[in-house]
Amino acid sequence: MTALVGEAAAADETASLKGGRMAAEKALAAIDPIAYAASRNHLDGAVTRLSPYLRHGILSLDEVRNHALASVADPRQAEKFIQELAWRDYWQRIYLVHPDRIWNDVESYKTGFEASEYDSELPADAVDGRTGVACIDQFIAMLYETGYLHNHARMYLAAYVVHWRRVRWQAGAVWFLEHLLDADPASNNLSWQWVASTFSKKPYIFNLDNVAKYTGHDINTRMADNRVLALSYERLGELLFPNLEPAHG
Amino acid sequence: MADLIWLHEGALRRTHPVFAAAAPGTAAIFVWDRARFAAGHVGARRQLFIAETLAELEIEIHEGDAAVLLPQLVAAHGANRLLVPASPDPAIIGQIATIRQAMPQVAVEQVEDTAFVTLPREPDLARFFRYWNKARKSALRPHGV
Repeated sequence: MTALVGEAAAADETASLKGGRMAAEKALAAIDPIAYAASRNHLDGAVTRLSPYLRHGILSLDEVRNHALASVADPRQAEKFIQELAWRDYWQRIYLVHPDRIWNDVESYKTGFEASEYDSELPADAVDGRTGVACIDQFIAMLYETGYLHNHARMYLAAYVVHWRRVRWQAGAVWFLEHLLDADPASNNLSWQWVASTFSKKPYIFNLDNVAKYTGHDINTRMADNRVLALSYERLGELLFPNLEPAHG
Repeated sequence: MADLIWLHEGALRRTHPVFAAAAPGTAAIFVWDRARFAAGHVGARRQLFIAETLAELEIEIHEGDAAVLLPQLVAAHGANRLLVPASPDPAIIGQIATIRQAMPQVAVEQVEDTAFVTLPREPDLARFFRYWNKARKSALRPHGV
């Protein structure tokens, strides 16, 4: 029951993400860069949910940064928060200079597989949120119900789709674009590429321990309900990327 | 010089520099472009979010292909300059090019948003931290200067 109440409260909080400058200013007034730096990795951390307002230019990066700096005694206290703003500036610069990178692989996959070995469509069970992996299905439900996902949940879903289900990142990117309130082709697609390893040195993967570390009681992290995630990184690497040489050292 | 502002879904606020670049009292227009939304995978929830934002902005809203409608709207407003918030979106950039071709006598100008950082030269975008190492100092200063 507690978990259900928690889920409802989280959904309500996000459901209150309304469009408009007034709602944006209210969200901006509530940010706490110091708490953000300390807890942002956790699903129940002090994340700001400003991204839909930034995506649509309702707030500018400049004014959000200025507000953050004004709320701390030393600029370094807001550095982690401002660095996250900088990610958006970075993605937008790539979008302008290299628009071809938004839908094409920037680099080859570093997974031991060719792009042609990945499916081009999302599996139906993922679209339906019925993969049978409990935490993954909960994240998919959150995506559909709220139009918002914590960054870790986005990375977990992206990694699951690309590496566990071996689906091209482009299919997942479209899925997120259609459902996220802050959907931005540059931030979204290049982040998918980062997870896939077509825009990073290695594929991003996670395991159940990691999910349990960063999520609260609302997320089902029981081993019996998440078997395919309940493995060591070494074992996952062997299973997901069998063509790669094992890492040494 | 009579101006007209075309606001798109990447710049939905009245404090955007595009308003300061225009003559005082210049009308702003949003075109609800279903084809561009569909091509950009803009889902129903985002469309509602954009609609809520537009309701608060109290600007003219028209429905159709922005590249087709804007030359007509510029003429209807008697404008000879169209101001557009700068966007990296190739779909919007393409529509601006089409509009320019359709009305070569009208100036179409893109107005950049307030800068986040000030950099002496274009940064290396190969990886985020190469960019961040150059941008950090500016990013941690008010107004990025």
